[in-house]
Amino acid sequence: MRVIVAGAGEVGYHVAARLSREGQDVVVVDVKPERLEYVQTHLDVAVVEGSGASISVLEKAGIRGAGLLIAVTNVDEANLVSCMSVRGVKDLMRVARVSNPDFYSDGAHLNPEVFGVDVMINPERELALETVRLLKATAATDVATFAGGAVQLVGVRVTDDAPIAGKTLAEIGSEQGGEAMLTVALMRGGETIVPSGATEILGGDLVYFVVTGKRMPQGLEFCGYRQTSVRRVMIAGGSLEAYYLAGFLNQHGAQTIMLVKQRERAQELAERLDHALVLNGDATDVELIEMEGVAGVDGFVALTDHDEKNILAAVLAQHAGAKQVVTLVNKTDYVPLATRIGLDAVVSPRLSAANAILRYARRGTVTSVATFKDSDAEAISFHVASTSPLVGRRLADIDFPDGAIVAAIVRTAVSDPIVPRGADKLAAGDTIIVFALPDSVIPLTDMFPS
Amino acid sequence: MNFLEVLHVVGLLLLWTAVAMLPPAALGCLEGLAFGWIIAVGSTALAGFLLWLVTPKQISINRREGIAVVGVGWIAVTLLGSLPFLATGTAPTVASAIFESVSGFTTTGATVFPNIEALPMSILLWRSISHWLGGMGIIVLGVAVLPLIGMGGSQLFRAEVPGIASDRLKPRIATTARLLWGVYGLLTAILFVIYLVLGMTVFEAVNHAMSALATGGFSTRTASLGAFSPAIQWVTIVFMLIAGTNFTLHYAMLSGRWGAWFSDAEWRWYAGVAVAVSVTVFLALGLSDWGWVFRDATFNVIAIMTTTGFATADFGQWPPICLVLLLSLMFVGAMGGSTGGGFKVARAVVVTKHAAGEVQKVLHPAGVFVTKLGRNPIRSDVLLNTLAFLALYVVTHGVGTLLIAAFGYDLVTATSAALAAMSSIGPGLGAVGPAEHYGHMGTMPHLVLSGLMLLGRLEFYTLLVLLIPGTWDKWGGHL
Repeated sequence: MRVIVAGAGEVGYHVAARLSREGQDVVVVDVKPERLEYVQTHLDVAVVEGSGASISVLEKAGIRGAGLLIAVTNVDEANLVSCMSVRGVKDLMRVARVSNPDFYSDGAHLNPEVFGVDVMINPERELALETVRLLKATAATDVATFAGGAVQLVGVRVTDDAPIAGKTLAEIGSEQGGEAMLTVALMRGGETIVPSGATEILGGDLVYFVVTGKRMPQGLEFCGYRQTSVRRVMIAGGSLEAYYLAGFLNQHGAQTIMLVKQRERAQELAERLDHALVLNGDATDVELIEMEGVAGVDGFVALTDHDEKNILAAVLAQHAGAKQVVTLVNKTDYVPLATRIGLDAVVSPRLSAANAILRYARRGTVTSVATFKDSDAEAISFHVASTSPLVGRRLADIDFPDGAIVAAIVRTAVSDPIVPRGADKLAAGDTIIVFALPDSVIPLTDMFPS
Repeated sequence: MNFLEVLHVVGLLLLWTAVAMLPPAALGCLEGLAFGWIIAVGSTALAGFLLWLVTPKQISINRREGIAVVGVGWIAVTLLGSLPFLATGTAPTVASAIFESVSGFTTTGATVFPNIEALPMSILLWRSISHWLGGMGIIVLGVAVLPLIGMGGSQLFRAEVPGIASDRLKPRIATTARLLWGVYGLLTAILFVIYLVLGMTVFEAVNHAMSALATGGFSTRTASLGAFSPAIQWVTIVFMLIAGTNFTLHYAMLSGRWGAWFSDAEWRWYAGVAVAVSVTVFLALGLSDWGWVFRDATFNVIAIMTTTGFATADFGQWPPICLVLLLSLMFVGAMGGSTGGGFKVARAVVVTKHAAGEVQKVLHPAGVFVTKLGRNPIRSDVLLNTLAFLALYVVTHGVGTLLIAAFGYDLVTATSAALAAMSSIGPGLGAVGPAEHYGHMGTMPHLVLSGLMLLGRLEFYTLLVLLIPGTWDKWGGHL
């Protein structure tokens, strides 16, 4: 499938990279030649210089015959115009990034149909939602939701004195007497391991497990954490992400303190947010954050525009005693560093946008896609249609591509996700969650045609 | 400032006032007061005509002229509006006639006459007409009907309409003024019909309808609304509340936005305070010797809060807690954009919220606290203006109290008289309570209170700016 990515910013670059690595034909469109130069030297994609809002530029990029247009420049209006100008093109899915909260406000909600947009994505809002999930799952590094939020895939770093540390999965299974915690993958020393019953979990491992929402506290407990409720959250930065997050936290009844450096932005946020306490100050001002009680907050979220400042603020907050610390890191190169200094919960607009977009880049019955910070692996959930030839077949008999492992089966009749065993049979209506390395994604999606 | 142009518009306003005197003058002729009324109407018309004649016809009103028109215009209209009281020999002194006229146009409703029933009907009608003209504003009326001042109408409008922000209903200011007067006239007509149905005479219905919608307070009876049936009193309560509401909200309601009142933050505060104080006063009265008189409690609380100043009971004799509540309401007053006076509900809410934010700021020195009215943040320049307005209110009230007390009146009388004048209420407490009148005061207190009434009605800035010498220079004193 040909995919046209309009806008080679952080989001556009990352989406193009992922799709290209999967083997899709990607064309990147941007007005800045130096940016295109960078894209071309790093990725196996074609580039077209010009505005993505111009029909002639899009024609040049081969919009006729393309299956997907992803308009992700930093300008919402340009993205909308891009989609609008190719309304007439057949069999084209149009995705537009629209970040401005005014377009989503009460009574002014943009109607995507008017603009010929099939999917509106809002990376800043996605990131804020992900942050809320991380804050609610104390100490989690990743939280992805599947099957409409019923099932969550959680990544947690196991503590040295955790109940499951030093035990094999088989032992854990027999001890817990069930599948309370279904471990689908673990990362140790930068390596992704797909565990078997004999795999031993060590303190310091990052384990990914699948749980239903209500089993989350139990899962966290096995890894050595106690889930605390989110009552007080301090947010560093006045970014769009911070604005969305403050809104979501208010809906959850959490008290929010925001640190905003620019006076005008602080004023603007104080006007827009009714229940947040907005402070005009720097997040790295230790005296200020201590006075405002950083030691007692349930969560500290660093969301300024600068990675370096976020990392510094997060470290300061962690040392001061903040329970869960979430850090926004834009630069890919910084992510391993952040992990090494103990900042496990990292969010990035790039990944949030990619998670929102990738499911639309897949043919087949993909219902959602989650990507992970430290790895190329994805968790993809598929819907098993009743017409699928896979219905009724044992998992052992199905020829899954190399690098793809069925992590869980979600069946509406069964409340907990099912640990897949070779003898399990797929049923119509199941949702299966598959852990997949990039090479296996396309053959995998071909197995679940829509 | 081009003073001649200002006088030209003032001349037009005086001609307009003379026209407004014609109905009571006609009534006066039937009462045998023809001579006095001819002098009153004639002098007013002549003064207006001369001013209009000797000044240039080409006028260009900008900001400074606009403010001067409102200030000078109000002084001129109220001065000549006192002529009927003098020329018919009703008022004992010049100052008392001016007091009665200013009290009428500012919709205060304080009277120098101890026995209202003894007054000629033509004078009673003139008092009510002065209320009605002053309620929505003589200048706003001028903007609505005089095409001449259409150009600078926006300045005039803003200088006369009370409240924090006067919002336009329509892009053109003249259309807005016409709509406001239309709504005002319609509501007055509705109340007139209801009064007739409930048994008032035509004359009483006309007078009370105009007085109520203007939040005035002049009645045709010494006992005020206490002389009428409970049904009439209940209807009056409702219409006083309507008159104390921002008229742009009425327009919105009439154009089909039924939730307009409730969706307005200031209105919710206004209605909430009215209900809360009514209930408190009712309970306080019930627990005292007065007994459970819900209608009296509600009527007098609403009459004070909307700054109407009708009365059905001598609330001056109520328990102290009620008096304190009523004095507080005298200060707060009605909504901005209404015909009522006072500090205005929105201002009181904004100032209080701002103060609460400042207290929070002690706890969070780096905190950014935005004062909001409903969902709307109040800009800091508006906030500062409101705080300055509070200072003007407090200082003017202090000076006014001092001046009244200097003539030997006790503290309660002096402080309530000054407040009742500034907030355009009418009856105060003590010697100027609802069962009393202002006739026993001398020339100086009458003039002081007249000044306070005008300052309060025009919300200080418009009048005070006339005292700055620079206003009268050609270039405004600064170059």
